[in-house]
Amino acid sequence: MLWLLLLPLPLPALGVVEKTLGIAPHLVSKYVPSRSNTWTCLDGSKEIPWDYVNDDSCDCADGSDEPGTGACPNQSFYCQNEGHIGSFIPSSRVRDGLCEPNCCDGSDERPGVCNNVCQEVGQAYKTKAAEETKIRKTGSKIRSTYIAYAHKEKKRLEEVIETSAAQITTQEKEVARLRDIAERAESLSAAALEMKQQSPLYTSLITHSNALKSLQREHKKHLQREKELSNILDALRSGYNPNYQDMAVLEAVRGWEEIAGLPHINDVGKDSVSDEEAGVEEDTVPDVAQTKEEVDDEIWSAEELENDLDDLLNSDYISLLLEHDEYVQSPPEGSVLFDIASYLPDSVVPQYEEFKETILSLLVSFGIIKSETSSSTDTSRSRQALTDAENELNKVKKEKENAENDLKEIFNIHGYGLEGEWKKVDGTCLRTENGDYTYEVCLFGEAKQIPNKGGSTFSLGKFASWNPSPDIKPGDEAYYQKQIYNRGTRCWNGPERNVVLLLSCGTENTLNSVVELEKCEYQFTGTTPALCRPLDSFEGRNGKKSNAGKDEL
Amino acid sequence: MRSVVLFGSFYALLALPHALAVKSQDFKTCSQSGFCRRGRALAARAQEAQSSWKSPYTVDPSSIVISSDDSTVKAAVKSSLYPEIKFGLELRIHDDGVVRVLLDEVDGLKKRYDEAASWALVSEPKLSKGIRWAAGKKELRAVFGEKNDIEVAVDYDPLRVRLRRGGEDQIVLNGRGLLHMEHFRSQTLKETIEEVASDENAEGQEVLQVENVRAWFEGDSEDAYWEEKFSSWTDSKPKGPESLSLDITFPNHGTVYGIPQHATNLSLPSTTGDSPSYTDPFRLYNADVFEYLASSPMSLYGSIPVMHAHSADTTVGLFNAVGSETWIDISYPTKKSTHTHWISESGIMDVFLLPGPTPEEVFAQYARLTGTTALPAHWSLGYHQCRWNYVSSDDVRTVQRRFDEEDMPVDVFWLDIEYAQDHKYFIWDHKTFPDPVEMTNDVAAAGRKMVVIVDPHLKRTSDYPVYQEASDLDILVKPKSGEGEYEGWCWTGSSSWIDHFNPASWDWWISKFKTTQNDTGFSWTESTEDIHIWNDMNEPSIFNGPEITMPKDSIHHGGWEHRDVHNINGMLFHNNTAQAVRLRSDIPKRPFVLTRSFFAGSQRVGAMWTGDNLGTWDHMAVGVKMVLANGIAGMAFAGSDVGGFFGNPEPEMLVRWYQVGIFSPFFRAHAHIDTKRREPFLLDEPYKSIVRDILRLRYAMLPIWYTAFRENSVTGMPIVRPHYVVFPQDTAGFAIDDQFFVGSSGILVKPVTEKDKTEATVYIAEDQVYYDYFTQYAYRGSSKGKHITVAAELHQVPVFIRGGSIIPTRERPRRSSPLMKLDPFTLRVALSKTGTARGDLYLDDGITYSHQQGEFVWREFVAEQSQKKTTRISSRDLASHNPGKAVDGIALTTFDPKNAFAKEIEEVRVEKIVVLGLNSKPRSVNVEGGAELKWEFVPGVAASDKKEGVSSVLIIKDPKVLITTDWAIVIS
Repeated sequence: MLWLLLLPLPLPALGVVEKTLGIAPHLVSKYVPSRSNTWTCLDGSKEIPWDYVNDDSCDCADGSDEPGTGACPNQSFYCQNEGHIGSFIPSSRVRDGLCEPNCCDGSDERPGVCNNVCQEVGQAYKTKAAEETKIRKTGSKIRSTYIAYAHKEKKRLEEVIETSAAQITTQEKEVARLRDIAERAESLSAAALEMKQQSPLYTSLITHSNALKSLQREHKKHLQREKELSNILDALRSGYNPNYQDMAVLEAVRGWEEIAGLPHINDVGKDSVSDEEAGVEEDTVPDVAQTKEEVDDEIWSAEELENDLDDLLNSDYISLLLEHDEYVQSPPEGSVLFDIASYLPDSVVPQYEEFKETILSLLVSFGIIKSETSSSTDTSRSRQALTDAENELNKVKKEKENAENDLKEIFNIHGYGLEGEWKKVDGTCLRTENGDYTYEVCLFGEAKQIPNKGGSTFSLGKFASWNPSPDIKPGDEAYYQKQIYNRGTRCWNGPERNVVLLLSCGTENTLNSVVELEKCEYQFTGTTPALCRPLDSFEGRNGKKSNAGKDEL
Repeated sequence: MRSVVLFGSFYALLALPHALAVKSQDFKTCSQSGFCRRGRALAARAQEAQSSWKSPYTVDPSSIVISSDDSTVKAAVKSSLYPEIKFGLELRIHDDGVVRVLLDEVDGLKKRYDEAASWALVSEPKLSKGIRWAAGKKELRAVFGEKNDIEVAVDYDPLRVRLRRGGEDQIVLNGRGLLHMEHFRSQTLKETIEEVASDENAEGQEVLQVENVRAWFEGDSEDAYWEEKFSSWTDSKPKGPESLSLDITFPNHGTVYGIPQHATNLSLPSTTGDSPSYTDPFRLYNADVFEYLASSPMSLYGSIPVMHAHSADTTVGLFNAVGSETWIDISYPTKKSTHTHWISESGIMDVFLLPGPTPEEVFAQYARLTGTTALPAHWSLGYHQCRWNYVSSDDVRTVQRRFDEEDMPVDVFWLDIEYAQDHKYFIWDHKTFPDPVEMTNDVAAAGRKMVVIVDPHLKRTSDYPVYQEASDLDILVKPKSGEGEYEGWCWTGSSSWIDHFNPASWDWWISKFKTTQNDTGFSWTESTEDIHIWNDMNEPSIFNGPEITMPKDSIHHGGWEHRDVHNINGMLFHNNTAQAVRLRSDIPKRPFVLTRSFFAGSQRVGAMWTGDNLGTWDHMAVGVKMVLANGIAGMAFAGSDVGGFFGNPEPEMLVRWYQVGIFSPFFRAHAHIDTKRREPFLLDEPYKSIVRDILRLRYAMLPIWYTAFRENSVTGMPIVRPHYVVFPQDTAGFAIDDQFFVGSSGILVKPVTEKDKTEATVYIAEDQVYYDYFTQYAYRGSSKGKHITVAAELHQVPVFIRGGSIIPTRERPRRSSPLMKLDPFTLRVALSKTGTARGDLYLDDGITYSHQQGEFVWREFVAEQSQKKTTRISSRDLASHNPGKAVDGIALTTFDPKNAFAKEIEEVRVEKIVVLGLNSKPRSVNVEGGAELKWEFVPGVAASDKKEGVSSVLIIKDPKVLITTDWAIVIS
C-alpha cells in the first residue's frame, strides 16, 4: 500500500514549493520578503535570502524558514483543508509518502500523491459530530434529571437534618432525665456496688470476659490472616507465573490444593477427570469437618461463635452482678419462700404473689431481709434505660452527621460535582464480562473481579478520587472523566490492585471494557449520562478555544 | 483500629525483600557433570605428572594415506590405553588456508555424532588441491597458503597437530596431552560390580586399583559412565561414556575472545591456573537461565564454539564443530600464551584451524565456513517496541498512537505469548485480539511491522491443529524409549516439541506460515506479510526438565540422543521459521526472525538478543560486551533488551539504556509482565525529550548501520567492532570492551553504563583527530594511545567521528524508517590530519532480494586535497568497480548504476554537507564545472593542527547533488 503510493512519483516534484505552503493562518502576514528580498527567521536569530523560505533546506535555528517542506524538525505544517476544517500536522509527516487523515487536501505530500478528500472527510466528520450531538443531547436530558435528583436529595437531607435536630433535642432531654434517675439510684448504692465488685466471682467473670475478648480478637486476627493467606494462595494458584520456573512455587500450589481440597489448576488434558475428582473431594472435606465438630452440644459451633459471642461479651456485667445478688444474697429460707409458688396450684399463685409482696415488705421493714436486692435491680434497669437512650441519641446524631456530610458532598466539586449530577449514580454498580471474570465497579464504592467459574472474588480497590493529575483542574470535564479506585487486594508478588475508570458521555451507565495494562493495574472504560454536559455549555467552551479545538481534529 | 493493626502485620509479611538472583542450583557446575569432572580430573593428573605425562595417542605412520587431489590426509590413531580400539585422523586443507582436523572412532560399537559441522557450515568448503605433504619419521608436514607461509605439522608420537606461521606454533592440538576420546564400550557385569563396589565397598575399590593399568590417565573409578543424577533427574546414558577431551594451546597469543554466550568480558577471563577469575570452566550448553548473573562463566541461551586468539603479531581462530554440552577451561600460563581445554560430552572431534593472520582474515575465514549475517530487512534496524504483553489489539493501537503523538520514531510493535489463546501459538485469543489482521494493517499503514512470538513448545491438545498435525506426522521429539512423544512442561502446560532434525518437519513447518488457506492443514490465515516472528524458548526451555531443558536421553531423528544435538537444536527451529517467513509470499521477502538460542551458523538466519537480562547497571554494561562477543563469533545482528527485562529502571537508567540500544545492531526495548509500563512516551521531561532525540539519532544513522550490515554480509566483519579489531597491534586496547566502532564508518561510541555520570573517559588508539559528533570539538589521540575525558551528562552520549571519515545520515525525523526512503542525505566530512576522508553508503529496497539481481546503490565519498590548496569532495559508484564484492554470496559480473532501485530514488539528493577541520575559510565552493554554492564557514581548529578545540565547520547548503550520480564539489 505504502509503496504503491510512493512509486509513481512525478519527477519534477523536486524543489519549487509555494512560499505560503504550510503557514498557519495567523502567521501568514509574517511571511513577506523585505525590500532587499530577505527574510528574518521568526525568532529573529538570522536574516536569510527570501529564496531560502520553503526551499526544502533548513536555515533558521527555530525552523521557521521551512513551514511547508518538513526540512526542519519539530515544526507544524498547516493544511488548509478547504471544505473541511484547517489542521496542523507535525513536520515529520510532511512529504513522507503517507496521506494524513488530518490533511485531507493532500497538501502535505508532493503533488499527485494524495487526492483531496476533504469533501468526504468533512461529510463523515459532520455525520459523526451529529451522532455525538445526539448522544450528548439525550444524555444531558438524563443528566438534568440527575441534577434534579440531587436537589431533591438535598432537600430530603435537609429535612433529615431538621428532623434529627429536633429529635436530638428531645432525646438529649430524655437522656438527661434518665441519667439523673440512674445516677440517683446508683449514688445510693455506689459504695455497695464497689464492695460487690470485689467479689471473687465478679472479678473472675471480668477476667474471663477479658480473656474471651482477647481470644476473640486473636481468633478474628487469625481468621483474617487465614483469609488473606488463602487469597494469596488462590491468586498464586490461578495466576502463578511459570516463568519463574520455580518448583518451590509449584509445590506450594500443590500443597495448598491439597489443604483446600482443590483440583490441580494445570491438570491439562485431564480437566473433566480432575474436576470430578475435585468435586468429590470438595464435598467430602467439609463433611469430615462437620462431623468432627458436632461432638458436644455444650461446645459452641463456629457459627454460634460468629453470631453470638459478641452479644455475650456485650453483657452488662454490673447488671449481672446486681441481679446475681438476688440469687446469692437471699437467705436459704427466702429461697423456700420464693419457691413456694412452684409448689402451689396455678390458680392460687396470683394471690400468693400478692401475699408474698406484703410479707416481704414486712420482713424488710423488720430488717430481716435486706432491701438492696430490689434497689440494685432498679439501678441496673435505670442504667440500661440510660444506655438505650444514649444509643438512640447517638444514632440520630450519626444520622444527622451523615446527612450533613452527604449534603456537603452533593454540590462539592470534589464530590458529586458542582451541580450534584453524580449523586444519582452513587452506588450504581456497573458490570461487564471479560474472559473468565466479571468485572464490577460500584461508583464511589468498590471495584471487584468476580470469577465466572468459581474462586475468590478480589477487590480491585475502593473509590479514592477523581482524576488526580495536577494538570487537570477540578471541575473540568476531564476531571470527571477519570476515577481512581485503589488499595484493592494485593497481588501475588505484586502491588495492590487498582483501577482507573475512564468515563465518557453516554445515554446509559455502562461498563464497556476492562484491560489489565500492567499486572494488577486495571483500566476500565464506561459511559454515564452524568458526563453529558448540555450542548450549549459544550459549544460555548469550544468556542472560546476554537483554535485548540481545531488543532485536535 | 484493630483492623489497621492486622493489615499492618500482614503487609510486613509481604514486604519481605525479593532478591533478584540466578537459581544456580538449577544448573550444573563442572563438578556436577560427570564428563566435565572426568575431563578436569584428567587435566589435574597431567598437571601433577608434569613432564612425565605423555599422551597415550599415537599416529601409525604406515597408515598415512594422501588423497588423490593432495588436499586430505588420513591416518590411523591408537591409544596405548586401549590398543584394540581404532581411531581415524583426517586433515583437510581448505583453499583459504583453513585446516580441518577430524578424529573419530573407527568400527566402534556405536557411532559418534558427526553432523554438527554439516548444520553449521554454509556449504562444503573448497579444498586446496596440490598440497605437498612430507611424511617424515616423526611427523607429517605440509606448507601452503598464498605466500606459502602456513605450515601444518602432525607429530606421530604422541599425536599432536600444530598450525605454524613464520616458524612459530600458532595453534597446537594435544600439546598438553589432554586429548581423550572415550570409546564406546558395553556395560559388562564386571564394570557393574565395580561400580557398586566403588560406591559401597572400600575393599572392592582397592582390588580395582590394583587391576587398573589405565588409572594414571583415566583415573581409578568409572565416574558417571552409565548413569548420572542431578537434583531429581536421572540421565540414563544408554551409550555410556563417549566424551571428548581436547587441549588447544596458543603458545604465542596472550588474549582469547569468543565462545559466546557468556555474561563476561570480551577478553576472556581465566578459569584455571593461578588465581583464576572464575572457578568453573566456561560452559556451552544452551539454557534458559532465569535472572542470570552479570559476570559468570555459566551457560546462557546460545553457544558458538569459536575462539579467536590474538596478539600484536597475529590473530588465529578456532572453530570446534561440536553440538553437545562443552566446557572450556582457559588459563594464561604467561602473558603471551594461552592454554585452553575443551571437554565435550559426545560427538567426533571436528576442529577448524583458522590461520588468520589478521582479525579481518579470521572473520573472512570463519564467514566462508559458516556464512555471514544475511542482509536484514532495512526496517528491522529501526526501533522495536516490545513488552510482555501488549494485551489487546486496542492496546497496540493506543501504543502506536502515543508514539505518533509524541513524534517518536518506531518501526515494530511486538506481541509476546499472551496474544495466543492458551499459548497455542498462531491461535489468536479473540477475546483480546478480535481483529488481528485489521490491527496489523493499522500498524502497517504507518510503514510499520509487527513481530509476533511463536515458541517451539506445542500444547498437547487435539484441538490445536499445529500439535495434532505434528503428532500425526510423527515429527515430534521422542522420549528415551524412542517411542511416542516426549512430553514436558512449558507456558502451554503439557507440551511437545517438533523435531526439526527430522526433514519431514521442514516443509510442514514452512506451510504453517502461509497467510492463505492450505490444502493440507493449518495455515496462519489470520496473519499478514507485515507480521514477522520471534522464536523464544528454543534452547529448548522446559520448565520441568533437567536444567530447565530437555532430558539428554530424549531421541531425535536418526536415533540421535538430545545430548548429541542440544546446542544445535535452537538454530534449526530458528532457520525453519525464517525460511517459512521468507517463502510465505510469492515474491520472497527478507524475513525477520529473532531467536534466543543460537549456534555457529545462526547468523545466516537472523537476529538474536541476550535474553532475559535484569534492569541493573551491571546488566546494561555486560550487554555491550556480550553484543561485541557475539559479533566476534559471527552473530553480528545482536542486541540486549533496552531497560532490562526484569525490574523497573529509574528514568536515568532507562535513558542510558536507550543510548546503549541505539548503538546495538538490534535495538529493542522489552519488559517483563510484572514491570510498570515504560514506553518512552510515558517518561516525564526532560527524559522524554532526551529519549526522543536518542531515537531520532538512531534513525538519522540508519544509513551507517545498513552500510555496515552490507559489509558484514559480504566480509563477516562485525557490525560493532571492538578496539582490537580496528587496532590489532595496540596491546593497550586488547581488553577494551566498553567502547567500539560502528562498522567501517569511523563512528566511535562509548556508552555510559554507570549511574550519576557526568563525564566519560575514552581511549584513542592512534595519532589522529577525533571529532565530537555533536559539538565538533576536535580531540587528538596519540600513537601510544591516549585517554581523553569528555562531558557525558544524561543527555549526552559520547560519539566521535574518526578523522578521515565521511558519514552519511538522514536527519529528517519520521514516524518509521520506510517513510525516509526519499529523504535527502547529510554528509559529514571529517577531515583527517592529512586533509582527506572517505566513506561509503549502501542502499537497496530493504525488503526483497532484488539486490541480488544488482538493484542497489553503493557509493563511495572521497575528500582529498589537490595541489592547489583545494579540497575536492566527490561521489562515485563503488559497485561497478567491485561487482563481485557488492552482494553476499552473489558474484555479480556487471552492475548497472541506473538499475530499477536507483531509479526509484534518483531524485534523492544531498541536502547538506558539513566539512570539519578545514584549514581556513574557503574562497569559493562550487560543484565541479558548476555554479558557486551557498555556504557558511565558522572558523575553528583545523584537522592538521596540533591543537584541540572546536573544529572549523563549513556548511554547504543544499548542493543539490544527487545520491545516485557521480559528482564533485571543489572547495578552494
